[in-house]
Amino acid sequence: MLAIKRVPTVVSVNQDCGSVSRDCLQSCFLTGFDLPLFKYTKKMKTTELQLLGDEEVPSSPPTIERSFLGTLLLSKWEERASQGLFRYDVTACESRVLSGNYGFIAQLNEGRHLKKRLTEFRVDQVLQEFDPKKFNFSKVNRNEVLFQFGEGEEAGYYDITPILSSPDIVLINVSPIEYGHVLLVPRLFDFVPQRLCANDLLLALYFTAEVDCPYFRVGYNSLGAFATINHLHFQAYYLAYPFPVECASITRINKGSLKSSLRISELVDYPVKGVVYESMDLNEIAISVASTCQELELRNIPFNLLICDCGTRVFLFPQCFARKQALHQVSQKVLDTQVNPAAWEIGGHIVLKRKEDYEHATEEFVTALLAEVSLSDPDFQDVKNIICK
Amino acid sequence: MALQNGSLLSSDRKCVRSPRMKNHKLIVSQSLIRSYRASIQDELQKHAYNFVLCDPGLPDHPIVYASDGFLEMTGYSRDEVLGRNCRFLQGRDTDKRAIVEIREAIREERDCQIKILNYTKAGKPFWNLFHLAPVFSQQDGRVVHFVGVQLPISSKLAARKDGHLTGLELSFDELEFEEHFDNPSCKNYHLSEEDKQRAFAAVKAVLQELANSSCKGVSSMRSKSFSEGVIPPGFVATSLLLALTRIPHSFVLTDPHLPDMPIVHASLEFLELTGYTREEVIGRNCRFLQGPDTDLAPIEELRSSISEGQTCTVRILNYRKNKEPFWNSLHISPVRNSSGKVVSLFLTHSLKCSPFQVAYYAGIQVAVSHSSEEDEGRARMQQLGTLGAIKVAVRSIQTGAVLRKSKTIS
Repeated sequence: MLAIKRVPTVVSVNQDCGSVSRDCLQSCFLTGFDLPLFKYTKKMKTTELQLLGDEEVPSSPPTIERSFLGTLLLSKWEERASQGLFRYDVTACESRVLSGNYGFIAQLNEGRHLKKRLTEFRVDQVLQEFDPKKFNFSKVNRNEVLFQFGEGEEAGYYDITPILSSPDIVLINVSPIEYGHVLLVPRLFDFVPQRLCANDLLLALYFTAEVDCPYFRVGYNSLGAFATINHLHFQAYYLAYPFPVECASITRINKGSLKSSLRISELVDYPVKGVVYESMDLNEIAISVASTCQELELRNIPFNLLICDCGTRVFLFPQCFARKQALHQVSQKVLDTQVNPAAWEIGGHIVLKRKEDYEHATEEFVTALLAEVSLSDPDFQDVKNIICK
Repeated sequence: MALQNGSLLSSDRKCVRSPRMKNHKLIVSQSLIRSYRASIQDELQKHAYNFVLCDPGLPDHPIVYASDGFLEMTGYSRDEVLGRNCRFLQGRDTDKRAIVEIREAIREERDCQIKILNYTKAGKPFWNLFHLAPVFSQQDGRVVHFVGVQLPISSKLAARKDGHLTGLELSFDELEFEEHFDNPSCKNYHLSEEDKQRAFAAVKAVLQELANSSCKGVSSMRSKSFSEGVIPPGFVATSLLLALTRIPHSFVLTDPHLPDMPIVHASLEFLELTGYTREEVIGRNCRFLQGPDTDLAPIEELRSSISEGQTCTVRILNYRKNKEPFWNSLHISPVRNSSGKVVSLFLTHSLKCSPFQVAYYAGIQVAVSHSSEEDEGRARMQQLGTLGAIKVAVRSIQTGAVLRKSKTIS
């Protein structure tokens, strides 16, 4: 068994409590709990019908405005911020762009990793059984829950509704990387461990699409790729700046066809090897990405996903940093910065906890760090073979 | 307009005008009148080039002028393109990298020249040599407009060994469309110096015309003092502007470091709510919204909160330009930038010093009826949601930002 010791990120105030608090989501769920509900619809909206040339469709005002979900999310988040629920004020964290070719974004965030206690994480098993004794999202404080997300015939917002029977929940991350940092937990009470299937990924894509903002990105970290909690979840936050990986050159690796608009490309000239899936059809992306990820899970290859462009672009990064760390193959200098290269870091947004690391951060440093993430050429070729078969 | 698999995503709104541009004709003409003489449309008409002007200060960075050549090339009517973002030219096989390249140039307020696959209204693809150039205001250094010039590249010509374009006047009918636009002869077609020069010449001519017709002075380059680091008061970078104009609510940003804390940005919805034009509000303190029946209590509450750098919400009677009163649920809050450095004394006239890293003070307005509980909840969500979006936008400011090395695709 290979394992590493690292300081896990605290995403909930209840994360370290042994006992179940009365105020936690699970207790509230059992006694009845009202939450705001945002309903999204997979049906085409009026504007799209007009686009088809169907001019007879009356342009009735939508019941909720486009990107209302973004307003809802930000308003709830801002409310929690003013209530002091976050461990620190992320807007006070300094950021800068590192000079060079890629435009990596470095942030000084001394508050995120204040917890000193190291925890052991197994890194050679991507699929692990759900352990109810460990922390999971039913144990979060009720105040950390922002709203539930659900599918319906019509899009709509309901301020106070009883919690659904199998709700998809949006929570705050009490140690935010950026403004609006939330967790999306599909079917929370199904207690699914951290692993991907097409439906859950599709939910995350619809979530991203409904927020409808290119600054809002959603990430996924498998076990072994720096997921902290073994309970199925995605993370998301706003950054009004391009992620370096979004600007990287790409070259197509799948064949185009008349039936499908899915483009799969390989990153070129980027410090980390990865692929990107692009399509206007979310279903297509979800099925294709999930099928690859399930194959990676079976082969015990940890990976990260980064969902961009309102859900129409998904980056997949198979990685081996944690494995290398467990085998003592990573330099101490890199380990001392305590940067865990998860989805955001690989995308080019690096959070540094020590002032000296931030002040002396350079593109060379980040490139060296990210170089340890990539699979070897033969291993990455195997992954490409999985994708293209 | 062909669909792929019969599914069209809600985010695929490339051909839809932003719903916020309801009075797009008025807004678009104001964009030109604001910076140039009324004769500008006639002057620009004289040029045979295919080009557009876009305004980054309007929601979704829309086209505010399109030449006849552009319309002929793309097959759209003038009314179909005005007020829309250029992305309707993109299609299924447009290289994402090219789009990113253009976006970066816009963010960084610089030129870019790139070969990109575009589509006509009928859905036919064509290779386009696209040249983008910013137009700077000499007054406050902002980018007033972006000029976009298009030169369609014929695949027939691309296949020729000498690779010369025979002129900008190449009629569009003469261009042949390829079934498979992944045609290597097009993709690998290297732009000759002559092609690039023709694009430059077109851009230069348009920029010259704009400079000649400008009221307050525009130019293709920033003023010398700006380049040396002397930033005029009230300057708002395009990258911040693009983020702010995404926010579909009424708000203003004021600068507490300038005398009398003037407005430096006002959203479209604010202008629509109050009835003023952008020129009438930028540079002024918000108190022009107050009137004869405005109570002193909320004014005092605002003043006191600002001097302490606090947030507050007040219900205040304000007046539109036409003197019509309305109840305004106003929420104000300081907003930080990403510098993390302590800046100067917060307000010079205040006895208290608040060493914040405050970039702006935001004011968010929601028109409400005098007393209604339902209004309270809705207003609060809009205010906090808008404040959150403003914080996201302002955090994109990079103090001492270093420009990434620009890459153009040959």
